[in-house]
Amino acid sequence: MNKPFQKIYFDPYIFFSLFLLSILGLFFLFSASNADMSIVFKQFIYVVVGFIVMILISQPDPDIFRRMSGLFLIFSLLLLGITYLFGPEINGAQRWVRIGPMSFQSSELLKLAVPIFLAKFLFDKKLPIQRKEIIISLLIIFCCFFIVFRQPDLGTALIIACSGLLVLFLSGLSWSFIGGSIILLIISSPFIWNILLQPFQRQRIATFFNPESDPFGASWNIIQSKVAIGSGGLLGKGFGEGSQTQLNFLPETETDFIFSVIGEEFGFLGVLLLLSIYLFLLLRCFYLALSARDRFCRLVIGGLSLTFAANLIINLCMVVGLLPVVGMPLPFISKGGSSLMSLFIAFGIIVSMGTHKKFLPQ
Amino acid sequence: MIFEERQIEKNNFSSRATLLFGFIILVLIAVLIKVFSLQVSGYSDYQLAALKNKNYAVPVQSLRGEIFDRKGRALVKNEPTFDLITRPNLILDIDSFLEEIGPVIFLSQADKLKYKKLQKEKAFVNKELVLKKDLSAEEIARFNVRSFNFQNAFIAKRYRRISDYPLIFSHVLGYTSRTDDDYQSMPEIPRSHWKDAELSYAHGLIKGRTGLEQIYNDHLSGKHGQRVYEMNAKGQFVQPLSFFEPVKGSDLFTNLDIEAQKSAAKYLGDRKGAVVAIDLESGGINVLYSSPAYSINKLSNGMNEIEFQDLINDPDKPFFNRAIQGRYPPASTIKPAIGMYGLSKNIVNWDFEMKDPGFFTLPETGRVFRGWRKGGHGKVDMHKAFLVSSNTYFFSLAYQADIQELANHLSSLGFGQKVCLDCFDEDQAFIPTPEWKYSTMNEGWVKGDTVNLGIGQGYLVTTPMQLANYASLLATKGKFLEPSIVILGSQRKSKKIWQDNGFDNSDWSKMHTALLGVIESDYGTARSIRDLKEFKVAGKSGTAELVSLDSKEAYQEVRTSELLRDHSIIIAFGPMPNPRYAVSVVIENGESGGAVAGPVAIEVLKSLINE
Repeated sequence: MNKPFQKIYFDPYIFFSLFLLSILGLFFLFSASNADMSIVFKQFIYVVVGFIVMILISQPDPDIFRRMSGLFLIFSLLLLGITYLFGPEINGAQRWVRIGPMSFQSSELLKLAVPIFLAKFLFDKKLPIQRKEIIISLLIIFCCFFIVFRQPDLGTALIIACSGLLVLFLSGLSWSFIGGSIILLIISSPFIWNILLQPFQRQRIATFFNPESDPFGASWNIIQSKVAIGSGGLLGKGFGEGSQTQLNFLPETETDFIFSVIGEEFGFLGVLLLLSIYLFLLLRCFYLALSARDRFCRLVIGGLSLTFAANLIINLCMVVGLLPVVGMPLPFISKGGSSLMSLFIAFGIIVSMGTHKKFLPQ
Repeated sequence: MIFEERQIEKNNFSSRATLLFGFIILVLIAVLIKVFSLQVSGYSDYQLAALKNKNYAVPVQSLRGEIFDRKGRALVKNEPTFDLITRPNLILDIDSFLEEIGPVIFLSQADKLKYKKLQKEKAFVNKELVLKKDLSAEEIARFNVRSFNFQNAFIAKRYRRISDYPLIFSHVLGYTSRTDDDYQSMPEIPRSHWKDAELSYAHGLIKGRTGLEQIYNDHLSGKHGQRVYEMNAKGQFVQPLSFFEPVKGSDLFTNLDIEAQKSAAKYLGDRKGAVVAIDLESGGINVLYSSPAYSINKLSNGMNEIEFQDLINDPDKPFFNRAIQGRYPPASTIKPAIGMYGLSKNIVNWDFEMKDPGFFTLPETGRVFRGWRKGGHGKVDMHKAFLVSSNTYFFSLAYQADIQELANHLSSLGFGQKVCLDCFDEDQAFIPTPEWKYSTMNEGWVKGDTVNLGIGQGYLVTTPMQLANYASLLATKGKFLEPSIVILGSQRKSKKIWQDNGFDNSDWSKMHTALLGVIESDYGTARSIRDLKEFKVAGKSGTAELVSLDSKEAYQEVRTSELLRDHSIIIAFGPMPNPRYAVSVVIENGESGGAVAGPVAIEVLKSLINE
């Protein structure tokens, strides 16, 4: 302990879970992409780089993250601003920034920067948190949310807001404030519906509540996803044998709807296995959060792992038809380097927070 | 104090984190339950939905059964022709493709335009499209030599429904034409897939519209097969999955006789009329001919609109099947029926004699009903009344009849009802009654109406089919044969017999002797046909007046207008004394029955008997 560089900070449970998820992910991606090796290989590179990054990130002392959190948030916002001004437009949204051969979705960084910054801002505040602190926190959350939302990327914006609010909640936001906010949200919902949401977003929500109204239009995705999962049965149709996937009835198989591919080809047992790994990973994070050395670490682990969990359950609920369709990848499985990188970074931070036991006087 | 505060914070964090992680676990369980309900409870539904998504079944057209005459000679068959078929998905540039194939296959400008239009509509489906039907041998040879240049086209066999006797059998066989309700026969194939049907006929999906083709459509149709393709979400065929062969329709074996039908057509010539002949052993219809006719080959294989309109507008009405739809007064051919009535009701007997002055005066009004021969036939009994066709005798007999009873009697002989078991759109013609006359003409039935009925004039109308059925009943001494075109075998209903206490076997023998005399004796009205044959024939001729006339002068006037001339009618059966065939002939505006319709009946009997 006196010579920190002689120790490698490493959590075998998290490492093993992520290793399994990544291997399975590559496997599923192979089938989901109709056996496109170039996609799988690219993803494989991201996975390898991701593991290296995660291990590197786990090494520094949590204090460093705490001290850098402000800078990190400003850097993330700057990068987002650059993207907004100069980034290439893909599907009507400016989200990407190019770093060498990799293009990076700059909003991914905010998913990390917001909860870490808020954890730093709130960890030494007395309970209950004061109104001034709540308002500052909410302002930060809202600004970040709004910038990403305007890209427009509702999915990521919601996750960013979620990550901030989770930290706020964990740090001891009073219940009366929570209740008041919920009432306010309900009152303002018509305003959100009519002014803030884009027509296609309204359409998605409308079809969610009545999917059979337009089977070939907006609800095609969710109907085909259900058919894919349902037709998989208990044991699935077999690797590469899913007709919904292989004949392209299922949309977005490599990204948002990759869970439907797993359901179709590996059946209920495959789904059970996958969800068990996620559950194991989350329980480990929960343990690390409870046993972390200080409040800052607890808040960061809790914030990051619950953000990851929110990301996971939103995707799952969406593809099985429990939530409207929002663009949200399945963590560690879906194609996409940016989200994979930010996930590995997040878990690197979680491991760092969870494994550094040096007691610091507060 | 510091420690205490941290403990509060820690407890606060723990409970809140537990709450959130607990919530996440609950949601994961909810997802798992939902997946379970999709994959285990809803499995069969979703499996079916997934199959529906990817399986694209198209019907494979079955061939229709063929139709044969009683000797097993083909009446309608499926004849192969060769079509040039293209694969639109492999044609990148239609114009250059058409230009390339131009020197090989002759294409009119209209052909090209039609093809381009269809190509556009169908191009999204990986499917075949006919470029030209019925290629000539020369075109086939030219294409085969160059086929390696055309990976996107090939020649395939397509059938056409062809009869070697398209005119003489047109009404009885009927024609087929394109149909768009075949999808009902295979509900497992969605209606929208039928446009991609694999066709066996050049004319597409077809269905019998008239005649035997219609009546026996289900029997002839067979069962379409199907080919199932795997299809992707873009609607492209990926690969064929399975194939169920079509089942060819059953052949139809009929009682028709090509030679006899040919005779009927030959001797009727271009006159309008109809011939029906019935086999007395089986009740089978050997001849069912109506003139003028039309070509079923043209109609079944795509007749152009002008030709079709010409047929429809033809004043001779070639589509009209006179044999089963033509309504003609039976004229003197009804006399045996009236005689049967008189005998069975004891109004007359064979020995009863009366004087025939050439006319009958109705006692009530003094109205005069004339015979066909001025001066009459002298003393006549029933036998002679049949031979010379005395009108006066039957006027007088009918005068004593009760019209309701007489109508019932005519009905018992098959008049006023459909008699053929499997004729397409048969007319039931008509027996007049007082109620009918009152309700349609608002006039009461008068005795004169009954008197007119006695010689088959007036309101009574019959079809040639009913006359042939009546002739066969006379020939078999009362058997109802229930005529049918197709050999039905065990499907036939039990045979009924016409019976009456007042009309016994000796009456039947005397009736046969009298009807034999009509043709074979020196006094018979139809003796002119006696020497046309080697066997003996019994029968009764008739001349149906279209205009009721009271004087010979007026008659001469009418003769000059062809369409007002009398119809010539005969019923006959032979060879006597053991008749095997019965026949009826009606020739419109043919005048004198025996001399005009008679030879046709004899020639038809000759071909049936001599075969």
